[in-house]
Amino acid sequence: MSWFERAWNTVRPGRVHRDLDRELAFHVSERADEREAAGMSRDEARRQAHLSFGNYTSQVERTRDMNVSGWLEAIFRDVRLATRTLRKTPAFTATVVLTLALGIGANTAVFSAIYAVLLKPLPFPNGDQLVKIEQTTPKSQDTAVAPPRVEDWNRLNEAFQAVMGYYTQDDSELSGELPEKMKRALITPRFLQVLGIQPMLGRGFTAQEEKFGGPDALIISERLWRRRFGADPNVIGRTLRFGRVSTPIVGVMPSSFLFPDRDVNLWAPSPMDAPYAQNRETGWFTVIGRMKPSVTLTQARANMATVQESLKKQFPKSDGELSVKVEPLKEVTVGGVRRSLWILFGSVSLLLVIACTNIAALLLSRAAGRQHEIAVRFSLGASRAAVIRQLLMEVLLLALAGAAFGLLIAAGASRVFSSLSRDLPRIEEIGIDVRILLYTLASALGATLLCGILPAIQATRRELAGSLASGSRSQVAGGNPVQFVLVGVQVALAVMLLAGAGLLLRSFQELGRVSPGFEPQRVLTFHVSTSWGETSDPKASKQRVNRILDSVRGIPGVVSAATSNFALPGTPVEYQTDLELIEGRGESEPKLRAESRSVTPSYFATMQIPLLSGEVCGDEANPPTMMVNRSFADRYFGGTAVIGHHLLRKQSFIPSTEVRGIVGDARETGLEREPVPTIYWCYGAHQPGTFFLVRTSGDAAAMAETVRKKVREIEPLRSVYELTPLTEHISEAYAENRLRTILLTFFAATAVLLVSLGLYGTMSYLVSVRQREVGLRLALGAMRGQILRQYLAQGLRISLLGCVVGIGLAMASGRLLAEMLFGVTPSDFVTLASVVGVIVAVSVIASLLPAVRASRLEPMQVLREG
Amino acid sequence: MAAKKNDILQGTLGLLVLKTLASNKRLHGYAITAHIQRVSDQLLRVEEGSLYPALHRMEQEGLVRAEWGLTEKNREARFYSLTGLGRKRLLEEEETWTRLTEGVGRVMRYA
Repeated sequence: MSWFERAWNTVRPGRVHRDLDRELAFHVSERADEREAAGMSRDEARRQAHLSFGNYTSQVERTRDMNVSGWLEAIFRDVRLATRTLRKTPAFTATVVLTLALGIGANTAVFSAIYAVLLKPLPFPNGDQLVKIEQTTPKSQDTAVAPPRVEDWNRLNEAFQAVMGYYTQDDSELSGELPEKMKRALITPRFLQVLGIQPMLGRGFTAQEEKFGGPDALIISERLWRRRFGADPNVIGRTLRFGRVSTPIVGVMPSSFLFPDRDVNLWAPSPMDAPYAQNRETGWFTVIGRMKPSVTLTQARANMATVQESLKKQFPKSDGELSVKVEPLKEVTVGGVRRSLWILFGSVSLLLVIACTNIAALLLSRAAGRQHEIAVRFSLGASRAAVIRQLLMEVLLLALAGAAFGLLIAAGASRVFSSLSRDLPRIEEIGIDVRILLYTLASALGATLLCGILPAIQATRRELAGSLASGSRSQVAGGNPVQFVLVGVQVALAVMLLAGAGLLLRSFQELGRVSPGFEPQRVLTFHVSTSWGETSDPKASKQRVNRILDSVRGIPGVVSAATSNFALPGTPVEYQTDLELIEGRGESEPKLRAESRSVTPSYFATMQIPLLSGEVCGDEANPPTMMVNRSFADRYFGGTAVIGHHLLRKQSFIPSTEVRGIVGDARETGLEREPVPTIYWCYGAHQPGTFFLVRTSGDAAAMAETVRKKVREIEPLRSVYELTPLTEHISEAYAENRLRTILLTFFAATAVLLVSLGLYGTMSYLVSVRQREVGLRLALGAMRGQILRQYLAQGLRISLLGCVVGIGLAMASGRLLAEMLFGVTPSDFVTLASVVGVIVAVSVIASLLPAVRASRLEPMQVLREG
Repeated sequence: MAAKKNDILQGTLGLLVLKTLASNKRLHGYAITAHIQRVSDQLLRVEEGSLYPALHRMEQEGLVRAEWGLTEKNREARFYSLTGLGRKRLLEEEETWTRLTEGVGRVMRYA
């Protein structure tokens, strides 16, 4: 018989039974026929036949035992029994299932994010071969690579299958009713080859299309294909219009292809042979390479260093100071969130441990109530292993039910993560798959052992098993050290979580209290589409920007308007540049290095950054003027002496620029960072990605539509997009911060809830088993207040001990958080003190009810009932 | 209670069943008892209570296979037949049995 049949027999014992019945019935009737033939009466023959068979039913059973494999049946018996037992105590069952659902669900949710973001390879074939290749110079942070260098790297290396580059810009698509903003990735040849993904419809670019002046061609994203073309399979050859040109679509990328980022709508070739792309000194490409299959990262790094070394010799002027950095693309993409996610995973695992400890304590109390049942089973011959198996089976069923509900919670994880942090990388890859299911199953099994083993061992100890004889008239129940240890463990872990959440919350609060040096409220920001090509005519660009600013200023309710290139104040963007002083500077004096912003002169009024001395710059191009902040003036010039000096940015086309005035320090590079020496170029900002900033007298968001209409009136061929209040940008910049703060706070709150339930449960149990003792003491004259204080003190003692351990753990683990804190230290006294306060308050409440119940016992009643 | 002379020695039932099935292709349980009784000239009587558990055990061990079929009297019965494994086991058990009887016989003669 195959194992399958055997298993089937176990599940369907009825079938085996019927088969056997038939077989044995046949035997009996044959025997009866024989007797009848020998001359017996028919009835007598049947009776004899039956008799000769002995005990018919036990025959059936003995034979059946041969069929059904014992252990499998035992398990099913355990399952049936466990289901029955659990059904008898629905409140207990529901509590445990819910607790586990929360614990396992939250755990699976965070794990699914960790798996999708950190563990899974990037969604490209052999994604681990992909690396980002960066150029670094000691002087500037300008890492964009010039076109000839991309081609040199690709040609000269031996470690890569191919090397490619890309950059992005926002365009206006004009074939619809309104200009629509589209994000375009401009790509070098070999882009798709390096990533290893082909269009799902149509084709990649031909060599002709990749040439300067060659035929126009576009590849569009799957999302754009659905939205604009209704997923038309015949989309190839249809066109999109940018400026005066209609460009044919040659391909559609699959929906999983979200590179360089999830907002990209289309890809177009960037010709490497264009006349403007021959300069080695200005670059715009981000470079990605695919290593050869046998090449390691170290080899690739060494090879690229050699390549750059030879370029250095060949082009000392442009490449002399460049060195090359090679980092795995995955690391570059997700490295920033690794710590946050692991910290979340750590805390959510602590939460699961707390939940399990809680359930273990519950089970211990429950097992004590089942002493009698267990003793009966022992006396009927059950082995200890069988009883433990039976008890664990109950917990396993609970854990599996919890895990099933938990999966429902985890299924919503992707949505929670994306609503809390839109910019979390790879967020669209979070989901439930087989691996996540296996993980959930594993956590259910882990939870079963964690919750169940201790209570099962306790419950089946010999002394307890002897309780059948002792009955229930014993006066005083023994101490319950195990339960109290469990409660203490929960408190300690909860304190750890609470301390972490508290520190993050305090950081958040501190961040809100910072005075940033500018006024972020009531500022509306937006973009107007423009291309890099237009920047070649700075005069026209400036006129265009000024025209838009002027018309916006004319709107009632607008106080002032300005632009700032690529960075918004208060968001973490850095752009450090090295400067030369035209007036000359001593060798020994510190090098001039500053954070640099390009703005219109109206920026300072709009952001309310005060003018400290000198005058506000103008936007004339010749000679250009600039402002510096107080830190810059103080650090390099000892104050106002800087005014009237001329600064020149090294290696750039900007002529030397006169410093006109000093403005106050503003936290340009992020609210959590101290202001750094900063310079503001005042010739205006008009590149793609430039932010328009509008100060409004009322609510900024409410002005969005008015502003959009106004800009559209004067720029009908450009799209206006991302009309967003500055405060929202700033809060979005701290979304990851917010994500971990909110989630950790949620975990900590849940932990505190679990702990208070655990303490309450344990104290209630203690009171219930000690009823008679209390009754006796009351009868002998104990004061009710005494009883109340005693139980209250007992509860508090446990939680205070737990607090001490928990604070220790929190301090030890605080180092993990240190980097994410702002304005508080990991051992912040206020935070830790409030944590202890919360725990003590909760403990008092949780032990007060049982303590009051104990003190109100009626001695006579209790003693009589016993 | 006096021991019945025709009770089958513990452990030999399997051998008898295997042997019976080896000489007859397909038999149901009743026929197996009848065969053993007839061939042993009523010396051996198969206890029904032992036969069926034994048959089912042997089926699980893969020594015999069973299928439902009809008897000449059109009754439904479960027919057993020998598998290759069963045939091999029969040879082994026959050998064991021969050695056992020989050994017992010698002891009886000389002890």
